[in-house]
Amino acid sequence: MAEKIGVYFDKSSLEPYLDLESITERVKNKWESACPVVRVVDQLASEEGHRTVRQDIDAGEIDAVSVCGTSPRKDQEFFDFGSNICVDRVNLRELGVWAYKNPDGSLPQEGEQPQDLQSIAQDYINMSVTKLQRTEAPEAEAMETEKTVLVLGGGWGGLTAALSTAGAGYSVVLVEKEKELGGHAAQMYKTFPQKPAYTQLQDVGLQEKVDAVQKHDKITVYTQSTLESLDGQPGQYTATIQTGSEQEQESVGSVVVATGWEEQDTSFLKPMGYGQYKNVVTMWQLEKMAQQGGIVRPSDGAKPRRVAFVLGFSHMMEEFARQEEEEKARKEEERRKQQEEGEETAIEEPFEKTESYRHLPYTTELTTMTALKQANYIRESDDSAVSYIIYEHMTAAGLNEHYYKAAQDDPGIMLSKGMVTSVDAGRQDNVILKVEDNLLGEPVELEADLLVLPTGLVPTTALDPVVQLAYRQGLAFPELELFDGFADSNYICFPYETRRTGIYTAGCVHQPMGLAKTEQDAQGAALKAIQCLESVNRGMSVHPRSGDLTYPKFNFVRCTQCRRCTIECPFGALEEDADGTPKPNIARCRRCGTCMGCCPERVIYFDNYSVGQIGSMISSIQVPEEMEEGGPRILILACENDAYPALDMAAQQGKKWSPYVRIIPVRCLGSVNTIWIADAMSKGNDGCLLLGCKYGNDYQCHFMKGSELCEGRMQNIGETLDKLGIETERVRQEEVAIDDYELIPQIIDNFVDEIFNLGPNPFKGF
Amino acid sequence: MTSVSRIEPDLGFIQDLQNVGGLDLNKCYQCATCSVICPISPMDKPFPRKEMIWAQWGLKDKVVQDVDIWLCHKCGQCTETCPRGANPGELMAALRNVAYQSLAGPRFLGRWMSSAKHLPKLIAIPAVIFLIVWLITGSIYGTPFPTPHGEIEFGHIFPGDFSIDPIFGLAALFVLYTFYRGISTMAQTFKEQPRTFVVGFHRPQSIWVSLWQVIKEEVITHKKWRDCGTEEPEEAKFKGHILLFYSFVALFIVTGIVAFTHWSGKVVGFLDMPYPMALWNPVKILANLGAIGLVVGLVYLTKRRLNAAQRDGSSFYDWYLLATIWVVTLTGILSEIFRLLHVAGLSYIVYYLHLISVFMLIAYLPWSKLGHLVYRVVALAHARRLGRVSTEISTEQKNQLYVL
Repeated sequence: MAEKIGVYFDKSSLEPYLDLESITERVKNKWESACPVVRVVDQLASEEGHRTVRQDIDAGEIDAVSVCGTSPRKDQEFFDFGSNICVDRVNLRELGVWAYKNPDGSLPQEGEQPQDLQSIAQDYINMSVTKLQRTEAPEAEAMETEKTVLVLGGGWGGLTAALSTAGAGYSVVLVEKEKELGGHAAQMYKTFPQKPAYTQLQDVGLQEKVDAVQKHDKITVYTQSTLESLDGQPGQYTATIQTGSEQEQESVGSVVVATGWEEQDTSFLKPMGYGQYKNVVTMWQLEKMAQQGGIVRPSDGAKPRRVAFVLGFSHMMEEFARQEEEEKARKEEERRKQQEEGEETAIEEPFEKTESYRHLPYTTELTTMTALKQANYIRESDDSAVSYIIYEHMTAAGLNEHYYKAAQDDPGIMLSKGMVTSVDAGRQDNVILKVEDNLLGEPVELEADLLVLPTGLVPTTALDPVVQLAYRQGLAFPELELFDGFADSNYICFPYETRRTGIYTAGCVHQPMGLAKTEQDAQGAALKAIQCLESVNRGMSVHPRSGDLTYPKFNFVRCTQCRRCTIECPFGALEEDADGTPKPNIARCRRCGTCMGCCPERVIYFDNYSVGQIGSMISSIQVPEEMEEGGPRILILACENDAYPALDMAAQQGKKWSPYVRIIPVRCLGSVNTIWIADAMSKGNDGCLLLGCKYGNDYQCHFMKGSELCEGRMQNIGETLDKLGIETERVRQEEVAIDDYELIPQIIDNFVDEIFNLGPNPFKGF
Repeated sequence: MTSVSRIEPDLGFIQDLQNVGGLDLNKCYQCATCSVICPISPMDKPFPRKEMIWAQWGLKDKVVQDVDIWLCHKCGQCTETCPRGANPGELMAALRNVAYQSLAGPRFLGRWMSSAKHLPKLIAIPAVIFLIVWLITGSIYGTPFPTPHGEIEFGHIFPGDFSIDPIFGLAALFVLYTFYRGISTMAQTFKEQPRTFVVGFHRPQSIWVSLWQVIKEEVITHKKWRDCGTEEPEEAKFKGHILLFYSFVALFIVTGIVAFTHWSGKVVGFLDMPYPMALWNPVKILANLGAIGLVVGLVYLTKRRLNAAQRDGSSFYDWYLLATIWVVTLTGILSEIFRLLHVAGLSYIVYYLHLISVFMLIAYLPWSKLGHLVYRVVALAHARRLGRVSTEISTEQKNQLYVL
């Protein structure tokens, strides 16, 4: 708890627009005892500035620092005074001076020091002081950790992850369900190229990998084994491994899931003649044939001389899509009925298989490359044999383009975009394709000795819980209903992470991919698993708030065991005892504050982030008594991951917005407690705007569900406000991405205009 | 229900095309830049985009029915602008080369004419024939280089009545018969051509009217050529081609007069002309002008070809024709010069070479690139009949133009 706060002003970034002389005077008067040091420094973000503050700290005059100047996203290196000294950065430059425009939209004259800008500065300084008064220097909760990584799956990805991890000096426990290591890679004949010039088929090279794993003294291999349960938290997991009738327990710190894929149910290929005609096979069948000595026609064992590959036939999937829609509607109806009958929804969701026709289009990139590869198998075995490739999409991404070009250059591989509208039997069990919308200029019929259809990859995580977590939220990864069972949490920012801290995915559980990509993926996942071990042992958050030492603390005396936090935690960090009292697992936690936001009793807090702290900051905003005179006051709670940087960038780009808003960054909109809104409105603020990440299909929330949960809470508070006679329009949530900085000023100004139209908050003055 | 044709991809055909100039055809990814840049491609089913994919799929049936390959004059703009280096212009030439090879038999001649490795055989045929003649006449005179009355006269060793005229007469008959068969094959395949239906002003016209238009606009005036562009190197190609064409016309007239006067002179004595002709003889002047025209035209075309070779490569067909005409021209001129200088040995040897090259030009004509003389004219006439060539139309007509 800071008692002696030093307030420092950076002259270089604030003058001449701010009247620093009178502001320092006012700060000294208002915070006489709390702020013994108030100084204006020519350039604070400098060695010189750092020394000035350091001297005051060393002299024992202050124990916390409020830096009024540039954005907290700038100049961090000058404002680190050790872990005991709390520092708050007051963003007066970007959010104050740079973003300022007069209420009428004009810009201040040369030499003018507008009154509204002085009020903005005053409010932000007051907020900072109250914030520091309620901030503790965090103390790390270090823990004993097991520096072993559990790798699930002994295929290409698992082997690579094991070797990478062991190569970095960490122990590995590798669990493979089959007798031999190698997984699907062991059944492949060759692979499409993984090295320059990316034009030649390549041997898989599995044996070297398997040998290296088996020889490595840091890798313990369990074959014919499965994971029975995974109990505990990152750094301290206990894995129970079942081998035959025997069970063994291993202590592990983090996990790489590389359990790969299963072949998609071939009934989805029925419209293309699979199962009906003898000489229609899948790519995976063809691969195994090639590996076992040669590609032949199932009907007569003859070598095919004309092989057709068909990539994509989405028009034939429409029936499956319709069926799925119906099934979904039926389930929805069922759920609705159950709710009407008053059955409580279970907290622990039962595992549901999610195999779908969509797994086929998801595999397009891989099946494209496989078709090119297998077309070359045909050419390789017989110079006069030809391959036809009819594609809906030719998805040869990145360096794979070279292989596509190489295939184009081979006159025996004939390619055309096209839509296969029928598959019929020809003479001698041949297959006749009717191809429309092709490049040849007219519908054509094409006869082939063998038809090869793509194999859809279904991730093992869609069919089985795989990780077998002893978590109260369920055995498996929580299903976001976005990825059809692929274990993926935030593709763009955090590709390896799942919604279970300490558990990372690699290879085809992640997305369908070839060996080269799997190799990279596994190395990435291994590094994340190591990062996890090296963070939790220091009591640090792993990601995305890497290095954060705070963690949620509970004031259990007031806990009513409502279970809201244990349900809403996006990461399953909270277990509960029989009564429903939450039991935090710090190492599973990502410090988003969702628990703090949802707690109706406000028993959850962080050392440097709490309901009371933000509440007191809101209270310190000076609301003018008359809206006509001093303008309205509008509170903006901005997600610090995307919305806040976007505001910063907008100001840096010279964008301006209304001087009537006050911005407070929050860890995530999920951490917004409705009491803050109630506080703001009861203190006479005229509106409240929440800026958070996109949610739903293209969600960008760093904590998966934060902005979505917040939206729900705002609807609830809307009802309450309505009852009090406050218009629900005064509280609004907007979705913004980090690159929406062009739009943000407009969003703010539009909201301010609407508040003007609504008039003053009826509670003003009470 | 759309009618669906069965396609039979033929790998061998693709490889044939690659061997006669279409080496890069597989690189095409169907962006259609070529069809857009082409100044003379029709609006409906434009070339050469469709020929590229047909070639990639080895659709021989489609390609041999294709009149469009003859519409192209290979200005090379498509090849120059192709983003993938697939050389569409080369492919169009390769398709024509395949047509020369396969429109009429005997097949072995078509094959021999497609590649440099058969060149010795092609040379050997006339070389042997004329050597036998020379051996016989030489033994009669007792010397290979006879100069009775002190005059060098090629008729001594290659007498017109008994060697030159029967040999070339037979060759010409053979060539005419071959063209007859080639044209019948073309006519057969053209039956299944795509038609451009133009509503408004266009009426299908008779083949004779079309043929006349082709001869007028494309052959005599070379007017259509200008559509392909009038910048260098198009200009060089145009000048070279038209010079060469009219020089050959001149030489054809000379040969015609010579043959006519010679043979008719046997019946009506005064028509016979003495040989060799004097240099002031108008016929001789025409012949010499023709020879000069050939040289100038060849210089133009060879320069362009050398540049083209750097840019997009040339096939054996291109070089065969150019080289043969060079040899014909140079040996013709040199044998005349040596004759006038009274260098008997050299002039006979050079004349012997001249005969070989003339034979190679004429007897193999239907399988060489020069076959376009007949095939292109027929195909263009057919295309015009279909309305597949953008003919000049008035503005009023333009407003009524609808393409279905």
